[in-house]
Amino acid sequence: MEIGPQAPFMTTKLDEFIAWAQKSAIWPMTMGLACCAIEMMSIVSPRYDTSRFGAEVFRSSPRQSDLMIISGRVANKMIPVLKQLYAQMPDPKYVISMGACASSGGVFDNYAIVPCDNFLPVDVYVPGCPPSPDALIYALMQLRREIEAGGKSRVLARNA
Amino acid sequence: MPEPSASADQVRPAVYERRSTAELIPQIAAAVGESFLDASSEQDMDELALRPDGLKAAVAALRAAGFGLLLDIGVTDHSPLAPRFEVSYHFLKMAAGSRAGDRTDVSPARFRLRVFPDDANPRVPSLTGSWPNADWPEREAYDLFGIQFDGHPNLRRILMPEDWQGYPLRKDYPLRGFDRRFVPGGRLGAVPPLKES
Amino acid sequence: MSTPADVFASSPDVTLAPADERDTLVLSMGPQHPSTHGVLQVMLRLDGETVLAAEPEIGYLHTGIEKQAENLMWQQAVTVVDRADYLAPLSNSLCYVLAAERLLGITDRIPLRANVLRVMFAELTRIASHLVWLGTHAMDLGAQSIFMYAFEMRERILEIMEFVTGARMHQSWFRIGGLAIDVPAGFLEKIGALLDAFPERLRDMRAILEENIIIKDRLIGVGKLSAEESIAWGLTGPALRAAGVRYDVRKAFPYSGYETYDFDVPTHAGGDCYARFVVRLNEMHEAWRIIKQAAEKFPGGPVVIDDRKIVPPPKTEIQHSMEALIHHFKLVSAGFNVPEGHVYQAVESPRGELGLYVTSAGGNKPWRVRWRPASFYNLQALKRMAPGNLIADVVAIIGSLDPVFGEVDR
Repeated sequence: MEIGPQAPFMTTKLDEFIAWAQKSAIWPMTMGLACCAIEMMSIVSPRYDTSRFGAEVFRSSPRQSDLMIISGRVANKMIPVLKQLYAQMPDPKYVISMGACASSGGVFDNYAIVPCDNFLPVDVYVPGCPPSPDALIYALMQLRREIEAGGKSRVLARNA
Repeated sequence: MPEPSASADQVRPAVYERRSTAELIPQIAAAVGESFLDASSEQDMDELALRPDGLKAAVAALRAAGFGLLLDIGVTDHSPLAPRFEVSYHFLKMAAGSRAGDRTDVSPARFRLRVFPDDANPRVPSLTGSWPNADWPEREAYDLFGIQFDGHPNLRRILMPEDWQGYPLRKDYPLRGFDRRFVPGGRLGAVPPLKES
Repeated sequence: MSTPADVFASSPDVTLAPADERDTLVLSMGPQHPSTHGVLQVMLRLDGETVLAAEPEIGYLHTGIEKQAENLMWQQAVTVVDRADYLAPLSNSLCYVLAAERLLGITDRIPLRANVLRVMFAELTRIASHLVWLGTHAMDLGAQSIFMYAFEMRERILEIMEFVTGARMHQSWFRIGGLAIDVPAGFLEKIGALLDAFPERLRDMRAILEENIIIKDRLIGVGKLSAEESIAWGLTGPALRAAGVRYDVRKAFPYSGYETYDFDVPTHAGGDCYARFVVRLNEMHEAWRIIKQAAEKFPGGPVVIDDRKIVPPPKTEIQHSMEALIHHFKLVSAGFNVPEGHVYQAVESPRGELGLYVTSAGGNKPWRVRWRPASFYNLQALKRMAPGNLIADVVAIIGSLDPVFGEVDR
């Protein structure tokens, strides 16, 4: 993990430690919209257990969660709700756009459905309709790699 | 009614069993009077087409005949045909308490009313006074088609946002809508129409 | 306009109902809430913890499925129809496919094997849906481990779905004229294994829950509706049968050969949440019985009707027959025309009577696909059931009604 040849040794180690801590305890929010929500609930089930990754704790309150998984199609009426929930989440926060409908509108090319990246910054897109729980766990792995690579989780070296 | 035979090879699904309610049609036609348009026996149930003025009388006649469950209120937009809007009411009569699987007794039956309001200003009397479950489907009919229900206590949009313009399920409303909401960078002009395939 | 002080001054009973609206609190429960089973917003008017009035606000998942179906060809619309009631996708497709087949007039020609498989998979979907209901409802009431048991069982059902149709959810396997593809070899063994494993798991879950004092305390007497009220509010499905009304579409207006299976329709006289709980547990058992009979019956034969104007020919034939190629091309590019008419077709979905009022204008696309969603009418009764209960009871009532918002909002 390279910040620069002049970066002090202790702060790089601290950054690595913080990144490891953050990636090992990503707490998603219960943001189940539609069919993808059922597959999202399945990742907590014994077959696809995400508590191996520290991510089975689904918090209902956005104030206690790190990750918003947009699991399902986003209707027009839901947009202000999602924006408010995203604003209520504390930093660092991540968004996984799960499924075809959340990522691009999916099967529904009509007046009612809006892709979620029109109004939220998305970290990982998961294709599928619905994506199998394996796919969502893979997305979680991608997110962990992103967190480990740094960026939002940098605490000490923001200006480097 | 054909009895299913025991052999697996010959067991065939029964023809859709229509309970005949043909004797109801003259009763309802009489109750409805001048609003009567048409009546027929379709393959799934009997139906009666009428103008909105006769709706309350028709529904009261159905209730008197035992049809106590309002299954559904839906709207179909037949444009460019006229009359354009068809508000369909489906009713169910069941033998409450009796074994519905026993086919020799009073069996469940269904009936359909098709109301054709005015094209330009579609108004239909609301059933919310005597049928509590008419509330939401009438709101939905207003929301998606613009049908006004006279006497509804709370006629506002139910599925679309409150400030939505237009009635999405009408045939002259394009599938993709008129403007994209929340396109990053914005998009000027109308949404390009779907290419006809 | 009296102040709270006046109210208390005039009577020493501190549990008075509030004198005016300013003493009540309007609370928005949802649309993001752990226990509303989806995107439901319930506006509650509260006096302390007691609900005085409840108005559900829906529409947060409105997808325009009905309008989308009008722009897809008849056989393409199966994909979009699946996604309404997303816990029981095959129920939706079954209803749509049966409606289209009635309009085409080919209901009698659907082969027996196709009907048996349709019944079998519709009942598997019913069990899968009820397992999700059980897991989430019990979790709302506090029994989190039941969620794990139920979902593990559901995974086995989804494995079979994936084995046969290629997809866990939204299979789009029922097609107009039969099924998309036949089941692969080894299917009966898998179904047999599932049928052997299921009763024990159901028994375990029932043993934990059915006579449990906490479940009984939380559910008995909550959200009670009499039979007349249930009919007046248009309830169908387990919610209606829990009020003692024995109405099941599979018995009243049979389809796909349901009259040839031996199954009971469980009812309960309670009318409250506990009654709905017990009815759904019993329904899982009845569904298991139907699947067992279907697996024993399992006939051979084709799974599609032999009408090339509606169903594409097998791929092997396309390679050496010109007509087969042309049929396939026409069906994929232009579809088939369905005669003009309209029909109301209902099936018994896990939530109740799912009806589709399909209108055809004689073209290759449906003119109008009107849903009669079971959950829409079931959820409306929340306005009647919630007042007088506590907030926590509202959670129990919503869970016992088992709404699916893909269906409510479409």
